[in-house]
Amino acid sequence: MIDPSVVSLSRLQFALTALYHFQFVPLTLGLTFMLAAMETVYVITGKPIYKEMTQFWGKLFGINFAIGVATGLTMEFEFGTNWSMYSHFVGDVFGTPLAIEGLMAFFMESTFVGLMFFGWDRMSKEAHLAVTYLVALGSNLSALWILIANAFMQDPQGARFDPTTMRMQFQSFGSLVFSEKAQAEFVHASIAGYVCAAMFVMGISSYYLLTRRHREFALRSLRIAALFGIVSTLAVITLGDAAGREDYLVQPTKLAAMEGLWQTTKPPAEPWKLIALPNDATESDLFDFSIGIPYVLTPLVTHTFNQAIPGIDELKMEAAARVENGIRAVTALEQYAQTKDPNALSEFEFYEDDMGYGFLAQRFAPDQDLTKITPSDMPGIVTKTARASIPNVFVEFWSFRIMVAFGFAFLVIFAFGAYYSLRNTIERQPWVLYLAMWSIPLPILVALYGWITAENGRQPWSVFGWLPTFEAASTHSLGYMIFSLLGFATLYTLFIGAELYLMFKYARLGPSPAGSAEPRIAPAGGPAILRPGYAAKSWE
Amino acid sequence: MTNAVKILALAMVLALALFIAVICGGYAPWYFAWLVGTTMIILISVSGAVLFETQESAADTDPQPHAGEKA
Repeated sequence: MIDPSVVSLSRLQFALTALYHFQFVPLTLGLTFMLAAMETVYVITGKPIYKEMTQFWGKLFGINFAIGVATGLTMEFEFGTNWSMYSHFVGDVFGTPLAIEGLMAFFMESTFVGLMFFGWDRMSKEAHLAVTYLVALGSNLSALWILIANAFMQDPQGARFDPTTMRMQFQSFGSLVFSEKAQAEFVHASIAGYVCAAMFVMGISSYYLLTRRHREFALRSLRIAALFGIVSTLAVITLGDAAGREDYLVQPTKLAAMEGLWQTTKPPAEPWKLIALPNDATESDLFDFSIGIPYVLTPLVTHTFNQAIPGIDELKMEAAARVENGIRAVTALEQYAQTKDPNALSEFEFYEDDMGYGFLAQRFAPDQDLTKITPSDMPGIVTKTARASIPNVFVEFWSFRIMVAFGFAFLVIFAFGAYYSLRNTIERQPWVLYLAMWSIPLPILVALYGWITAENGRQPWSVFGWLPTFEAASTHSLGYMIFSLLGFATLYTLFIGAELYLMFKYARLGPSPAGSAEPRIAPAGGPAILRPGYAAKSWE
Repeated sequence: MTNAVKILALAMVLALALFIAVICGGYAPWYFAWLVGTTMIILISVSGAVLFETQESAADTDPQPHAGEKA
C-alpha cells in the first residue's frame, strides 16, 4: 500500500528542492555567456575596463555557481532515496543523460571555471577568452542533459517497456537526445537564463548609476546587458511558443489546463483567455467569468485557423476509454510476472500502450489491487481515473499567465534600457534605472513559474502516460519524510540567505571597493563619486 | 606560410560550421536555433559595447553633444 501522505510529502520535498536549486541555475546559464561577451570586447578593444567588468561580474557568477552546485547535488540523490520506484522503472534511460551531465558537462564546466578565475595572468588574452567560452558552453551543456532527462518524463522517447525486467529499456539514444520536447525545453530554459542574467547586470548597473558610483563601468555594463536582454527576451518568447506547440502535440492535458479549456474549442473564433478563475471542483470558470481575445487561441496553439483544441471534457473521455484497457494490461503483466504464461504476455502486449492508465487506476481500486475490482466498481473507477488524468487547472492556468505577462514586461524594460543606452541618455531616465533595479529578482521568479507550469502540467504522471507519480515514490515512513523535508528546507534557506548576503555585499562594493587607490572626486553639490583612472576622459 | 595556415584553419572552422548546420538543421532544428541565436545575442551585445567606445571617442573629439543630449 502506498501512503498518499508520503507521496505528497515526497512531491513537496522535490518541488521545494528543485525550486530552491533553480534560483541559482538561470544566472549561471546566462552570466557565463555574458562574461564571454564582455571578455570578447576586452580582446577586441584592449580596454582594461572590460577585463575588470569580466572579473567583477565573474566574481558574482562564482558566488552563484558555488551555491548552485551545492543545491543541485542533493537532487540527484533524491531520485534514489524518495523516488526509488521511478528510478527502477526508468533508471536505464533517465540515468544516462544524468551521467553524461556529470561526467562531461559538469566536469568540463568545473575544470574551466578554475582556469577562468585563476588563469588571467597565466594565459594569453585569446586563450583565456576561449576558456570563458568553454565555461559558458559547459554550463549550458550541463543544463542540456538535465533537460533531456526531464523531457523524457514529459514525452518518453527512445525507450520501450520490457515486461521481463519490468522497466523501461533504452532503444534509441538519438530519439532521446533529438526529441522535439527536449529541444524545445532546452532552448527555452537556457535562454530564459540569459534574460535573468541580463536583468541582473542591468539592474545592478542601474543601482550604480542611481547612486552615482562606477559610472563608466555601469554605463558599459548596462549597454551590454540591455542588448543581451532584449534579444534574449525576444528569443525566449519565440521559443516559448515552440514549447507550447509541443505541449499541444504530446501533452494535450497540460495544454488544456494551461489555457483553461473545459470544452473542446470552436475554431477559429475561440478566444485566448487573458483572465479567468478556473474551478477544478466544478470543472468550469468561477461565475463563468473570463476575459479573452477572440481569434487568437487557435493560430497561437495550432499554427492553423481550423484545428480544434481538445478540451478537458474530450480528454477525460479519451482517458476513460484507455483505463479499462490499462487495467487489463496491468493484470496480464502481473500474471505474466508470476507464471510466465505466454498467453498473459500476449494479452499484455495487446493492451501495452494503455498500461499507464492501469497503474493510474490502482489508486482507486480496493486495497490498490486491480484484481479486486468488481464489474459494479468499474464505472466509478474509470470515471475517477479519467478525472485524475487532468492536472490542476487553476495552478497551471495562472502560473502560465504570470510567466507570459512578465516575459513581455521584461521586453519593454530591456527595450527602454537599450534605447536610452544607445542614445547615451540613460542617466536622465531614473525611472528606467529604478525599474531595472527592482526587477532584478523577477526573471528568476518567473523562471520558477515556468517550471511550475511544466511540472504541474505533467501531473498525474511521473513519466507521461506510463508511470503515475503516486506509484513512483519510495515507501518511506511519514516521520522520515517530515524530518528530511524540514532538514532540506532549513539547509536550502541557509543557502539562499548566504547567496543573498554575499551578492548584496559584493554588488554594493562594486568593481572598485571603497578605499582603493583610485582617485575620488566630489562635484559641487553632489555626492562623492569614485572615478577610476580609465574613466577620467569621459568625466571631463 | 602563416597565411596559408590561417586560411586552412578558417576553412576547417567553416567546414565544421557547415557540418553542424547540416546535422543540426536536419535532426535538431531548435538546437541549431540555439547555436545561431546565442551567437547572435553575443555579437549584438559586443557590437553595442564597441559602439559605446566609438560614441565616447566621437564625443571626445567632436564638441557636438551626444545623440539625444541637449546642447
